[in-house]
Amino acid sequence: MLVDLVQNTIEGLANGSAYALIALGFTLIFGVVGRLNLAYGATIMIGLYAGIFVHAEWQAGWMVVAATTLLGSVAAGIYVERLCFAPMRQGAAITAMVASFAIWMQLEEVATLGLPRHSYPFPPLVTGPAIEIGPFLLRREHLFMLVVALVVMVALEWLVRASRFGLALRAIAENPRAARFVGHNVERSLFLAFMLASAVGGVAGWLIASTDQQVTAMFGMWATFKGLVAAMLGGLGSLSGAVIGGLLLGVVEAYALWTFGPQVRDLSAYLILFLLLVLRPGGLLGQVHALRDADTRRRL
Amino acid sequence: MTALLTVSDVVTSYGKIMALRGVSLRAQKGQVTCLLGPNGAGKTTLMMTISGLIKPQAGSIRFLDRNIAGASASSIVKAGMALVPENRLVFRDMSVMENMDAGAITRRDRDKVAEDRERLLQRFPRLRERSKQQAGTLSGGEQQMLAIARALMSNPTLLMMDEPSVGLAPLVVQEIFEVIAELKKDGVSIFLVEQNVHMALKVADHFYLMDHGRIAFDGAPDAIAEDEVISRAYLGERREAH
Repeated sequence: MLVDLVQNTIEGLANGSAYALIALGFTLIFGVVGRLNLAYGATIMIGLYAGIFVHAEWQAGWMVVAATTLLGSVAAGIYVERLCFAPMRQGAAITAMVASFAIWMQLEEVATLGLPRHSYPFPPLVTGPAIEIGPFLLRREHLFMLVVALVVMVALEWLVRASRFGLALRAIAENPRAARFVGHNVERSLFLAFMLASAVGGVAGWLIASTDQQVTAMFGMWATFKGLVAAMLGGLGSLSGAVIGGLLLGVVEAYALWTFGPQVRDLSAYLILFLLLVLRPGGLLGQVHALRDADTRRRL
Repeated sequence: MTALLTVSDVVTSYGKIMALRGVSLRAQKGQVTCLLGPNGAGKTTLMMTISGLIKPQAGSIRFLDRNIAGASASSIVKAGMALVPENRLVFRDMSVMENMDAGAITRRDRDKVAEDRERLLQRFPRLRERSKQQAGTLSGGEQQMLAIARALMSNPTLLMMDEPSVGLAPLVVQEIFEVIAELKKDGVSIFLVEQNVHMALKVADHFYLMDHGRIAFDGAPDAIAEDEVISRAYLGERREAH
């Protein structure tokens, strides 16, 4: 019983670190721009499909596949930013969100038209038998993913808290008008933040795909839903919240799977999201008070 | 005398509403130039147009012998013009220190930035006391000092101030104007938009009266009596509302 509990927690944390990585990109965009990018999962999927393509066509090794995935995600991210977010910066947040939904559908169609099979193999990165710790098993890929999620979180946290670029991002996030008044190039900073988030998404997608060793056409939808739920659990806009939310989601899903079976797994994710939104609408580490600021309210 | 800033026949509209109907004025080096006028005269629109936050439809704006009409706000700050915006607009969730650093975002000379920060903290000792505090916890007057310090962090040739006294207690207003007078003594050129005619005329070298998107009068502060200025600016003959 206890062994099962611990083993399921390990599995949950492993899946959760994948959710955490995706949630980091979501929360970064929301934190700075104050808008939801529903095309985020599809952005990552484009990167993965670019990776699949070079792998299938030229038998490219993992390094080339990783680089292609990253570049593909960033390119797709730029496309989304130029189309949905740059032209609608002055308009209502809902406009950009709906536009990003349209681009999601478009990107997914493009990907599945280009590579129409249901699933494609993806080259693994870390192989070898699972690590045994007493009675427990831990896959190497999962351990690697957890470490990368934590490293990315710490790096982003440092960037936002301590760097010059982060100072500009925080100023823009808090009051874009004032930031412009004191000479910040708001458009350029938002563009760079979007590229950064897409790159984080590319890393996340590549790690997940190389762990699963395959990619399906459902990846975009899966990534958007899991990432969004994880980011909301932790509190949209909070980087450490994204990681905590991701890990929590993974563990809850693992317990639900273990106790009630696979049908309840996804249900449990939405159930805890619902409960959290009722009890703590800002998420675990979220800042509901951001909405009190007049400028933020106008922007939302 | 050299004009730092020369605005000629500037027209700015919001959709069909013309807010500036051909405005011309100058700000001289080392002086305090003051812009007075009632609400809705177009003072803030003029400030925003000069600072590159709104694009003018027509006219030219020359700053340090360069036409900046239509240039981006960040390039104008880089060129040496800083804005203290109306209502201060400090970054409330960031510390006092971070607010000041945000004002230096266009600069690349890090050592000089640190020097300037030190100098400004000396000038505004209350900001030093509260350097780690969130700007939102400061009093209105302290926030105004911070907004001024933040603008000065870009090391400007010309400081644009949009109604720095608005919403502050009389004693604090006095303090703000003392700072303006000190800055002037240090050779900072200032373009000041104000509602407080009495205080503004005391510190100004030259003033403009604005009404309905046009310059209605300009002269030295002693050109006409203060109550005359007030009646022209706020009580004067009004055309029908737009």
